[in-house]
Amino acid sequence: MQKITIKKGHNINISGLASREFSNAPTQKFVSISPQDFNYIKPKLLVKEGDQVSLGDALFFDKMNPEVKWPSIASGTISKIVYGERRAVLDIIIEIDEEKEKNIESDKQINLSSKDNVKEFIQKHNFWPFFTQRPFNKVVNPSDSPKCIVVSLADSSPLANDLSFSLAENKEYIISALSNLKKLTDGQLYVAVRGDNFSFLSDYDFINLIQVEGPHPSGNVGVILNRVNPLNQNEVVWTVQGSHLPVLGKLFSKGIIDFSLNICVGGPAVKPSYIKSRIGARFDLYKDFLLMENVRIISGNVLTGKQVDFEGFLGFYHSSFSVIEESFERPFIGWLHPGGKSKYSVFNAYLGSNKKSFDFTTLQNGSNRAFVPVDAWEKVFPMDIYINALARSIEANDIDEMEQLGIYECDEEDVALCSFVCPSKSDVGAIIRKGLDTIYFDK
Amino acid sequence: MDFLRKIFEETGKFVEKGKPLSWAYPVWEAADTIFFSTNKQTSKGPHIRDNMDIKRTMFFVVIALIPCYIFGAYNIGYLNALAMEIERGIVGNTIFGFTYVIPILIATFVAGAICELTFAIIRKHEVNEGFLVSCALIPLTMPPDVPLWQVFIGTSFGIIIGKEIFGGVGTNIFNPALTSRAFMYFAFPTKISGDKVWAVGPDGYSGATALAIPANPVEYDTASNLFSANTQFDYSTLNMFWGLIPGSIGETNKLLILLGAFFLIYCGIASWRIMVSSVLGLVFTALLFNLLNYLTVDGILQAGGFPNAMLTITPLQHILIGSFLFGTVFMATEPVTSSHTNTGRWIYGFLIGVLTVIIRSINPAYPEGVFLAILIMNMFAPLIDYYVVQANIKMRLARNV
Repeated sequence: MQKITIKKGHNINISGLASREFSNAPTQKFVSISPQDFNYIKPKLLVKEGDQVSLGDALFFDKMNPEVKWPSIASGTISKIVYGERRAVLDIIIEIDEEKEKNIESDKQINLSSKDNVKEFIQKHNFWPFFTQRPFNKVVNPSDSPKCIVVSLADSSPLANDLSFSLAENKEYIISALSNLKKLTDGQLYVAVRGDNFSFLSDYDFINLIQVEGPHPSGNVGVILNRVNPLNQNEVVWTVQGSHLPVLGKLFSKGIIDFSLNICVGGPAVKPSYIKSRIGARFDLYKDFLLMENVRIISGNVLTGKQVDFEGFLGFYHSSFSVIEESFERPFIGWLHPGGKSKYSVFNAYLGSNKKSFDFTTLQNGSNRAFVPVDAWEKVFPMDIYINALARSIEANDIDEMEQLGIYECDEEDVALCSFVCPSKSDVGAIIRKGLDTIYFDK
Repeated sequence: MDFLRKIFEETGKFVEKGKPLSWAYPVWEAADTIFFSTNKQTSKGPHIRDNMDIKRTMFFVVIALIPCYIFGAYNIGYLNALAMEIERGIVGNTIFGFTYVIPILIATFVAGAICELTFAIIRKHEVNEGFLVSCALIPLTMPPDVPLWQVFIGTSFGIIIGKEIFGGVGTNIFNPALTSRAFMYFAFPTKISGDKVWAVGPDGYSGATALAIPANPVEYDTASNLFSANTQFDYSTLNMFWGLIPGSIGETNKLLILLGAFFLIYCGIASWRIMVSSVLGLVFTALLFNLLNYLTVDGILQAGGFPNAMLTITPLQHILIGSFLFGTVFMATEPVTSSHTNTGRWIYGFLIGVLTVIIRSINPAYPEGVFLAILIMNMFAPLIDYYVVQANIKMRLARNV
């Protein structure tokens, strides 16, 4: 077992952390898969409204990479396809037919003896979207051979789904999923855990277990990679979401397609809970948990998640909803406030701030300003990358310099804390994404 | 509060887009957000944000300067009473001093605000709070009896040439406060050349500053002896620390500057690396010069010629004399114009210390070298960063075999 300790970073002390027990909630009637959750794809639909689909049927494929198809995450009827600007597909909503889902047969022909067999099996069931790659954080190209595969079971983001609790009953599936993931790479399979969680994984030689310590973003795939096996130019690393391991494990071990997922709902504006649910779940079933009216619902965590409306759905790679208050307050001379309970800052500029868990709202707490480098980003960015210089090279559109400064190792989620602490209220994640886009479309 | 809120909401209607007064929006926005924190929402990305913003960052620097203002005012009154041979008491001295400080402060802020607001209106951006810090720093670097029109011109020069022509806060290469200080130093040398004493006294009142004494001694002696031989002011080490000596308004009391430094470091606003490394650079060079002096005057290398008393100033005296601490704590640490990498900050600070002693000791024309040292290093900061970043690039290339 390898141990890595991250020093730079910050655990945001936000209130609304769910306790480790499941709450009851109605079963889902609708689920959705959104092509917007996947970077750099051009979706071509294979279904239309009213079509009958069953679990795992292909819903759409990527025109740039037709091998990769997206599975139907439920059996039932396509009830609605939501289009946005320029006919971008926003949501493919499926009305679940529970009877049909129960009667679905498992795949009995499982042959996973070699790398090619595993790939064929994934292809057959349209499971490629579960595999994402670094750089670019996009769905993998199945013909690539990754230099290693990383799975993080140590999500450190605020109010994250605690996988040591929500995956507790899926031990055998996790092992099955990991053993088959190992077949996909000639390199290492890294699995990151925190403390003594998932200690049973240390019995398996094919897993390169990494114990991470330290504040967020220590659990991020990018940060772990930067420490154990830095990503170089022209290399590809694959990753899957820790929360998806049971889904993969069920397919690999028993041929069962089952998209159930234990999600967590947290945040200052909601009664925090764990719920047995499924991928692409709709939020409005959990409306009873809300504590107030005027809220922002976020699919994913508060740093990198996506804002959804009341009838919005869980993003494909997300396993939690976060809910915070939409605040429009304008405190009198707020920038002169001495501190106390109503302020939170990683700077020591407010008396007694960030000691207790804090009710964050959607306020930006300041206007956007030109960037003043007060060494704030660097304090929460643990990689050996000059993030400030990188951001400048991106703004200058200098692709060579971006590559030299290590843009391939970064992803939006790794720099989310930089945006959180930035006194100039810059959006560092958007800058990194802009740089990645520039490189991606240049090639 | 509701009443004030209402005033802003009503007046806000006049500066909306499309209205004839819309050019004044930056001015209105600045006033509005000073009284009421902005209610701007996060859009995407981090949905929650830290409570620290540029307003508070800049304001905290101003807070750190307030004690220097109060002591500066007291010191003006104290030295004046000393010269006039009268007794005025602490309060009386402070009030007397403020009658000199406040007009300078007003002249600076009026000039700064005019420049900043004009550029905000022309460039259609929001008013940046950075000018508050520049304007709060400028009076502290002035002699108490400086004419106000000079302050006005100097501040305008600093804000416009030091900052606005480069695109405003965040893109400037020179510290605006130091730019205006340098401008005044070269434009109005009779008032602030740094060798004549800076105190408000009777007509014709004059004397030598601590730095001028070893720079132009009548007869060579060590700096310590020269200081104790001076009877006009108490230039003992302890008194130079407490700051009851003539000088710029804000730089004399070293204790208050150190307190300001700890405050800024504690809040995470100023870089402790720059402060520590510039002191190290200063100590290193001062010791080197002490050694050089020892070798040439007392030691084996008795070269002859006129020995330089400036070389005998001890490191501690270098730290306490003149504006070194003030410049290091408040000017060198300005985040935009200093180095942007932590390794770079060590080098940047160290060289400021080195250059300060070199300019002070080697060149008798400029007894005070701090502001020139910082401006020179402002110029080199991007170059330092360039090499630090190149090292990172080389490391990454070496890995990518």
